[in-house]
Amino acid sequence: MGNGMQAGMAGASDALHAEQGRPGSESFRLPPGFTLRETRADGSQEYFLNMGPQHPSTHGVLKLVVRLDGETVIEVVPHLGFIHRAIEKMGENETFVQYIHLTDRMDYLSSHINNLCVCMAIEKAMGIGVPERGEYIRVMVSELQRIQSHLLWWGAFGMDMGAVSAFLYGFKEREKITALFEELCGARLTMNYFRPGGSNADVPADFLPRIKEVLEDLKFSLDEFEVLLTKNPIIRERTVGVGALSKDRAISYGCSGPVGRASGVDFDVRKHDPYSVYDRFTFDVPLGKNGDCYDRYMVRMQEMRESIRILEQAMAGFPEGQYRSKEKPNYKVPAGSYYANVETARGLYATYMVSDNSFKPYRIKSRSPNLSNLAAIGEMARGGKIADLVAVLSTLDLIIPDIDR
Amino acid sequence: MTALREYPLNHPVGDFIRGLLPSPWSAIANGALAVALMCGLVTVAAIGLIWLERKVCAHFQARLGPTRVGPFGLLQPIADAIKLLMKENIRPRTVDGLAYFLAPLLPITGSFLVLAVMPFDHDIQAMDLPAGVVYVVAVSGLGILGILIGGWGSNNKYSMLGSMRSGAQLFSYELSMVLCMLLVVMASGTASLREIVLSQQGMVWDWWIIKMPGAGLLAFLLFMISSTAELNRGPLDLSEAESELTGGFHTEYTGISFSMFFLAEFVNMFASAGLGATFFLGGFLAPQFGFAPLDNALFAIPGVLWFFAKVLGLIFLYMWFRWTFPRLRIDHLLSLEWKFLLPVSMANLLLGATLVTFKLMIP
Amino acid sequence: MNKANPGGEPGHHDPAAQYLADLTGGSGMPGGLPAIPGVEGSGGLTNAVDWVVGWARANSLWPLVFGTSCCAIEMMATGASHNDWARFGLEVARASPRQADLIILAGTIVEKMGSRLITLYEQMPGPKYVIAMGACTISGGPFYYDSYSVVKGADRLIPVDVYVPGCPPRPEALLFGVMKLQELIRKGGWRNSLTPRPINHSPIKDEMSETARLWEEKEKAKQEGMKEAQERFKAENPDFKGVVIKRVAAPKFDEVPRVVRSQRGLPAPETFAILAERFPGLMVQGLSEPTPEKLAALGPEYILDVIVGREDYLGLVGFLKSDARLKLDFLIELTAVDWKDRFDVVVHLQSLEKGHKVFLRCALPREEHPEIPSLTGIFSGADWHEREAYDFFGIRFAGHPDLRRLFLDDDFPGHPLRKDFEDPSRIVKRPY
Repeated sequence: MGNGMQAGMAGASDALHAEQGRPGSESFRLPPGFTLRETRADGSQEYFLNMGPQHPSTHGVLKLVVRLDGETVIEVVPHLGFIHRAIEKMGENETFVQYIHLTDRMDYLSSHINNLCVCMAIEKAMGIGVPERGEYIRVMVSELQRIQSHLLWWGAFGMDMGAVSAFLYGFKEREKITALFEELCGARLTMNYFRPGGSNADVPADFLPRIKEVLEDLKFSLDEFEVLLTKNPIIRERTVGVGALSKDRAISYGCSGPVGRASGVDFDVRKHDPYSVYDRFTFDVPLGKNGDCYDRYMVRMQEMRESIRILEQAMAGFPEGQYRSKEKPNYKVPAGSYYANVETARGLYATYMVSDNSFKPYRIKSRSPNLSNLAAIGEMARGGKIADLVAVLSTLDLIIPDIDR
Repeated sequence: MTALREYPLNHPVGDFIRGLLPSPWSAIANGALAVALMCGLVTVAAIGLIWLERKVCAHFQARLGPTRVGPFGLLQPIADAIKLLMKENIRPRTVDGLAYFLAPLLPITGSFLVLAVMPFDHDIQAMDLPAGVVYVVAVSGLGILGILIGGWGSNNKYSMLGSMRSGAQLFSYELSMVLCMLLVVMASGTASLREIVLSQQGMVWDWWIIKMPGAGLLAFLLFMISSTAELNRGPLDLSEAESELTGGFHTEYTGISFSMFFLAEFVNMFASAGLGATFFLGGFLAPQFGFAPLDNALFAIPGVLWFFAKVLGLIFLYMWFRWTFPRLRIDHLLSLEWKFLLPVSMANLLLGATLVTFKLMIP
Repeated sequence: MNKANPGGEPGHHDPAAQYLADLTGGSGMPGGLPAIPGVEGSGGLTNAVDWVVGWARANSLWPLVFGTSCCAIEMMATGASHNDWARFGLEVARASPRQADLIILAGTIVEKMGSRLITLYEQMPGPKYVIAMGACTISGGPFYYDSYSVVKGADRLIPVDVYVPGCPPRPEALLFGVMKLQELIRKGGWRNSLTPRPINHSPIKDEMSETARLWEEKEKAKQEGMKEAQERFKAENPDFKGVVIKRVAAPKFDEVPRVVRSQRGLPAPETFAILAERFPGLMVQGLSEPTPEKLAALGPEYILDVIVGREDYLGLVGFLKSDARLKLDFLIELTAVDWKDRFDVVVHLQSLEKGHKVFLRCALPREEHPEIPSLTGIFSGADWHEREAYDFFGIRFAGHPDLRRLFLDDDFPGHPLRKDFEDPSRIVKRPY
């Protein structure tokens, strides 16, 4: 513990704390992952700072080792795996349907949508159809989930920017949708609601009027949110031009979702590779130009309004009928590999499963949008201040368990 | 020593003690009494403010705040205080002992010293220094020192970053704050806080915030902004910046030493709001509107209550700032001061000088 | 010092008196109050202090901002407007462990995080309290079986005061847990030790199997004991046919035909034609002879899945990305499959502009560390995907700038997603 980092961060036992020598000296050894070798010409010193795995703005247990010159970030190296729970290995020992509940716990703010992806892969493999009402339920629940996730993001973004009240306003709105979900499937967070062929229960009788009520409230609060943060000069000052990621780099890193779209990557699975009945609804895919924090912010704010649009159309055309197709006695997936993808609140989520004609997957892999989005952080945060790094992290909207799986 | 002789405790009680004891002893007894009263008052006020902050914050955030201890959770700060006192006090092995020990004491000392010259009422003031403003500016520097050495002494990178930030921030913002005070000193022609209050006697429009058209209001706004920065409160709480620095300069402090920082924040807020009320809002003077029945009714309320009402109003403003605005970035914060607030307050001082010279005040 | 004697005023409810009555337990000592062991002359006054300190500590629990996964969201919801834990004095969430009293373990603790958790706990000043929130921190929860990295209960690492079950627990449950903790603290008063209980260092211990065995034994003994009674019952009631279980009729659903959506962009046969032109020996997964007719027969949903040799791998990916007709510029994922006799490196590519996807797989010999060229020169995003494949399968990517493990500790033995990975010290196997 040579450099005075005893408290605050629980990274004290890390190898990074071993004596490394001063930058520029012969004995100097860069911590793993760092590449820039040059030292500063004016003789001033750089230092390394551990952010995480216990830090309020890493949103969980991400660890960033930051190389700093004063407050200016020179390089950022993320360290992952502090919540690696072996979900893919466990999936190999559970049945295909049991894997659904594990995906709840990856990106827990998009748990419905993750469930949907696994169900779609199983449906593809076994040729299961979904009735009209089931598809509408899927779309509506997914969009509610997207709004819910973005509301939480908005609150967390506010808190990272220092506007603590925003966090509670976001949660207050989110709680209404959570209550709706609770009525729907009994769970507030880990839903486990969708099944191959539909969902495990029909929607409650007053589902549509409830959604309507929630959406009316939401439209009002979204306008308030715009006043509180979007139009705030401090937020603009701190986000416009900060953490920019160009379109080419975003594609190269595999950034998807709002992060990719803020950089101008016109890709939304719902629009460009539609699943369920998304192709029946008219909605726009909000795009940014500069790929900075402000664009990422705006893309999400607009996405909430687009989701409201989709929900309104879906409510207008919500059909009667059965909510799921005939249940299979078992889900024995024929040998082969199957792929399905969805658009979660964070981007392209995909399930790739390999079956050897048994009840359990031979190999199951979930493509995490967060992993690819986070990979670009080094480029986004370089040259900014520590506060900019926090802004970048916040607008990436990371869910660490989804990265680590 | 003139001050000590004239105003140890400018109150009938002081006169009573003066009659009771011979000269040097009466001054000492009066001084001790003043110190005890001030400490008691301010501690109670600070604890009240902690409660108020929690409640205000809660209601800003559509919550209830503490409800379980005492009526409306009034005993919450007391529970916090007792808990902090009874907590283990950790002194990490690698800290700089003296600096680490001294740092929590300085901010609270500084803010208590400011209160020594605060006129709470016509006859409630521990000491009225002729150069009260200079004294206030001088002792409030202690707080900065405490934060700086606390961050340095903690031997933690987050603490150091926090204290470096606050060093830059507090020194800068002190400038515009002093310029705003200077405007009032110039207009009232005195640097004694009591005299400044008395110079605002009369109607509401004789308060400096209104009396100097434009300049007074602008100076008040600048004072509020720069004192928020001086207080290290959101949106200008860069040295704590929880989402970035986990706690800034006090990251390593535990139990009682942390509670000193915690308490100092609130005493400081009280002192700052008190200065704001004294300089711009007529201090302990009751507002008068030139309508006799109302004026008489308002005048009947003791000055000390007016003072507290004004202070609480300003404190509510501070809280409103904190629970609404997002935090600035350090370079934006400094450029806001050096490129905007400082030039504006200098220009404002010139404007004020013009107004004073050509007697362009509201009569 | 008889003031707080609970027997003083019957009918008048005084929490302090109530508490002291609980504390004495009717010991009948003079003053009704027990002395603090080892403190001479301690009695009423010390107990009054005790009560005040316990009250203060119970009502001012500042939690550490600590959340690892799903439960953290419910923990935040507990702090949010709807549930508002500030009512109990918990609102001052501290980011620094130095000022926290309470650590709410919201979310799974994995081995890599374990040492950090212990550090955090040690950095907190005493008295300190721990609430284990959710099934994961109680026992490993849904990650108990077959997981090689999850700590099977946080009390394997640090002492826990209150357990709040649920996955995740509702905010109300957490609030209830907090109230239970407050009760505990009030009982302890100022005697709550500043020095913490000892720290454990055994992240994994299979208690479940042991419990299951004991349970089975108990059940067996129970059955043995009931045998006689059962036989007597049968003899006395020869007509008894057993309990008829009535089930709620499950709703019947009709079979629904699957709506097949065609893949966007270039159809698979045409894509393969372009590829075969450049790489003649290319094969398609599942087809012995990749003719356009056979590919077209696989249906519109089929995504082209080509098999490529190690020597053509890099060239093919480069071609797929750069060819103007294909433009597969987006790396969806890169992973591997362990087929016991070989590894397949699987690459999923998509064209953002045109919409079609191409999957490719490259077989590698099953060695300790098989090697394949890295795609980092083509896709920046391949960096972490390859590190993940290295971490899980031990596949080396030649030319990768920084090939380290991505998720697991450097000293983790073996590569867990290999089919032959066994680590009895880490994995609790499913009993069924």
